[in-house]
Amino acid sequence: MGLKMRTRFAISVGRAAAAASRLAGRGEGMVVGGKVTLKLAPRAIADLANDRVAVLISATNGKTSTTRLLANAVEQLGPVLTAQTGANMTSGVVTTLANGGADTIAVLEVDEAYLPMVTADTNPRVILLGNLSRDQLDRMNEVAMTARKWRKMLAEHPEVTVVANADDPIVTFAAEQAPKVIWVAGGQVWTADSAVCPDCGTLLTRDDVSWHCTGCGRSRPEPTWFLEWTDGVGTAVSPAGERFDLSGLKLPGRFNASNATMALAVCGQLGLNLTESVDRMCHVEAVSGRYAVVDVGSLRIRLLLAKNPAGWTELVDVMPPAPAPVIVTINSNAADGRDPSWLWDVPFEQLRGRTVIATGDRRRDLAVRLLHAEVDHVVIADPYAPNAPLPPAARDLDIIDNAATYTGFHTLRTRAAREAGK
Amino acid sequence: MTESVVRIVSIYPTLLGTYGDGGNVLALRHRARLHGITVDIHEVIPGDPVPTDADLYVIGGGEDTAQVAAANALRADRGLVTAVDRGASVLAICAGYQLIGTEFPDAVGQPAPGVGIIDIRTDRLAQRAVGELVARPSRFAPPGLTDFFSGYENHAGATHLGPGVQPLAMVEAGIGNGDGSEGAVAGRVLGTYLHGPCLARNPQIADQLLSWVTNRTLAPIVEEEVVALRAERIDYVARNS
Repeated sequence: MGLKMRTRFAISVGRAAAAASRLAGRGEGMVVGGKVTLKLAPRAIADLANDRVAVLISATNGKTSTTRLLANAVEQLGPVLTAQTGANMTSGVVTTLANGGADTIAVLEVDEAYLPMVTADTNPRVILLGNLSRDQLDRMNEVAMTARKWRKMLAEHPEVTVVANADDPIVTFAAEQAPKVIWVAGGQVWTADSAVCPDCGTLLTRDDVSWHCTGCGRSRPEPTWFLEWTDGVGTAVSPAGERFDLSGLKLPGRFNASNATMALAVCGQLGLNLTESVDRMCHVEAVSGRYAVVDVGSLRIRLLLAKNPAGWTELVDVMPPAPAPVIVTINSNAADGRDPSWLWDVPFEQLRGRTVIATGDRRRDLAVRLLHAEVDHVVIADPYAPNAPLPPAARDLDIIDNAATYTGFHTLRTRAAREAGK
Repeated sequence: MTESVVRIVSIYPTLLGTYGDGGNVLALRHRARLHGITVDIHEVIPGDPVPTDADLYVIGGGEDTAQVAAANALRADRGLVTAVDRGASVLAICAGYQLIGTEFPDAVGQPAPGVGIIDIRTDRLAQRAVGELVARPSRFAPPGLTDFFSGYENHAGATHLGPGVQPLAMVEAGIGNGDGSEGAVAGRVLGTYLHGPCLARNPQIADQLLSWVTNRTLAPIVEEEVVALRAERIDYVARNS
């Protein structure tokens, strides 16, 4: 497969480490294996990439779903290499690349902070940039800093085609100087992190469709791809005016229709059949457990991943209407962000009329937030226990929505899988 | 007898609200309702004049670029300075705390001019302060502040207090101003690095501000959710420090 000896050796040692991690019950071992491989062969990603990486996808929210939608569409060309678990830092990327055939096309999700490094190593044909907003403020760069790094990255890789969300001013700032950009009107519900121009600091002026800066004259680039969203149904409109009905998507909500539209713009750039691309996207059901219905303890829940305010703002839309109760799981492990003050940026007021079952390590922070939002709530350490003091309406539901932060979400998935295997 | 309305101004929430600081305004509204105080909350966006006749001004935290933009807008506007001169109360958090002083570091670490309503100066800490912050009220703290303060800090500022400005609290765990003290108090101006947000986790501070602006002594009102959260966070810090 033309790999350097060092890389081959490093991969085999990494695989052994991953297997050991799996045996020890510590998850799928992708990250551990990847870390070992990169330690032994720091250039392993470049060696493995070998010009077969078609697309890198990055965003604060929706990158795993967008990657799955796009990977499914690209499969019309043959097998596609993509991470199945959302492992998106360099360790995950190296493991994904090492596990596929040398000529298999790769469609890879990449963490925002790691995108410049992975771009330099993989020489992708297209980079999809979805959105940038606050996430894990205790460890991630400020949003504007990430945008500046992306901007520099694109200046250093003028050969790459960028598919970018014109409705996100921060993404626009990152992509605007790239020689080839396909602008998509993907929408932006969460605007609090792009209140000011990322370049000159002036407060941006917005109306229903557009935005501009009165300080430096920067404005929303003219999109060529559009998402139309009417009465809960999305339509993607191509530069040629072709209309693609997205109502068959199994991933719910406007946000996923936007993800699909951006993915479809990439399909156009790769020369794929667009109708077939949409058909293939419609086969994507649960992505890494998102929106999956699972049994946990005495409850049947629908899993919703809610990591940050922007993601939350999209989620309230896909929940059944009040007064259906919902479970909300808030943790503050490293992967969730240690600081849950973002809860105060989430418009929990929209949950008025329901009872929220607050759980997770930071359920008491959530309870104080809900108190201030005037949302009825109960705090329960284990709401899945048969004798948990749930509100009666929760037991009456066939399926109850359970929004959870990253580690809460994965704990629930793992618990459901374990209990199903009994 | 006409009921008086407490006028609260939220300064530039679009620029300064990175760490859930909007929660401070929600907490003021919430505590005011518990005490039977009517509030009128006004959000000012940059470019609009800052009212000079409000009772209480709340300033949140923000990223570096936004912090400089906010400081420049407030210096040009002068409304906040006028309000403080006539005795208005101020709560300023994190980047907002830094910018009400005379000087703070900009995005590249160069000194930027603050609004100067309080004699404090901020430069850079050697290492960013990120984590839980627990502090006890200093002997200079207003009389309504007796409980430990609990919050989360995330900043790179070392804040130096000038003459006439006193520390609000002394650090038990965390970094605060960087010299063992935390926050500042000068007259009715309070500054602090506590977010979480500050007033939701420390309702005594909300009550102190409301007490100032109403000239009333407020009865202590305890809510079980808040008590449970404070106990959990203080216990967490005790076990991990």
